[in-house]
Amino acid sequence: MLLNSVIIILREVLEAALLLSILMAMTRFLQLRFRWLFFALMVGFSGAIFYGTQLAAISSAYEGVGQELLNAVLQTLAYGLLIIITVLMIVNHYKVGISESLLQVAMATAVAATVTHEGSEIFIYLSALRYQPEAFSSVLCGALLGVGIGFSIGALLYYLLLSFPRRHALLVTCVLLTLVGGAMYLQVARELIQADWLPAEAPLWDTSWLLPEDSITGQLLYALIGYEATPSPLEVFIYLVSMLLMAVLLLITWFVHRKNKVPHVVQLAG
Amino acid sequence: MTERSHFYWQPLLLLTILGFFTLSSSIAQAARPQFEIEIRGHLFYPSELTIPANIKVKLIVHNQDPTPEEFESYELNREKVIMGGQKAVIFIGPLAPGVYPFFGEFNPKTAQGKIVAQGLGESFRAAE
Repeated sequence: MLLNSVIIILREVLEAALLLSILMAMTRFLQLRFRWLFFALMVGFSGAIFYGTQLAAISSAYEGVGQELLNAVLQTLAYGLLIIITVLMIVNHYKVGISESLLQVAMATAVAATVTHEGSEIFIYLSALRYQPEAFSSVLCGALLGVGIGFSIGALLYYLLLSFPRRHALLVTCVLLTLVGGAMYLQVARELIQADWLPAEAPLWDTSWLLPEDSITGQLLYALIGYEATPSPLEVFIYLVSMLLMAVLLLITWFVHRKNKVPHVVQLAG
Repeated sequence: MTERSHFYWQPLLLLTILGFFTLSSSIAQAARPQFEIEIRGHLFYPSELTIPANIKVKLIVHNQDPTPEEFESYELNREKVIMGGQKAVIFIGPLAPGVYPFFGEFNPKTAQGKIVAQGLGESFRAAE
């Protein structure tokens, strides 16, 4: 019971923690305030509880695939926001103070959507304790351990990102967020395939012998880059297109805005 | 480059995202063969379900327990939370003939089962 609850909670926390640590590192680099984080977590936790309590109704909507569709909407929202965030991040890197409030709103909304999605499952899992009072201490203990491990990994990534010089940090966060974006959109594809809104196909390859999805490394890679041992051709296609789209948009933004770079001396004189 | 140059990106982005989602949501649902599994006392009934290989089937999981359960299978790439007393619809396949284990993530010690896909797609469809 204890180990099981560690794993369940860790899986859900990890995805949110990785996104959170990348965005927090960005906030530090761009010297923004952390206030957005407070709102994001408040909205996210409320959303998770609301989603969790309404899940029975959500599930039976749309001929029984409401849960998949709502998850797909939340993940699509988060993916779109990630693009806006990274674009504004690049713009801000070259010209400080552009659309800072929009950037913070986008970060807050992305985190809120992710926390709602991941948190609802934790809420539902823990809500079962009502019926299993004898499991209370071991499940709660496991949950705290899971949260602890998840946030430790997040903190590790956060400090790793902060250790980069500012110039490289931009590239590293853009690459990481593009990977996270691809993983998010891959999940959208998975949800829609499960809901029978997208065709299912035979897997393109099977790497479960090399790296099982339920191993620690498999779980970590699942959270960060959406690792799947048996992806279908459509999933691989959607994964690559969503990353490519994001990468192209970021490159265009970089290309347009890098000319805006004002040398520090001139900026002072001006 | 003016200060406002980045603003034209926002409608473009919105369009791209909307387009992407519309593309994803093309509905193509035909009648699928239907199979049912029940969850009682954190166990699956039946714990071994035979389905036809190479066609998509509609699996209905009825959770008779008061507690929620998560139907999960790495082999099937499926994951769905089912609240207590609720039914969930999960589409699986088309699967190559073989054995595909699944489990209840919230009670993995007891809630274990497997889907057996058999290459009898034609005879199954005839029986429908």
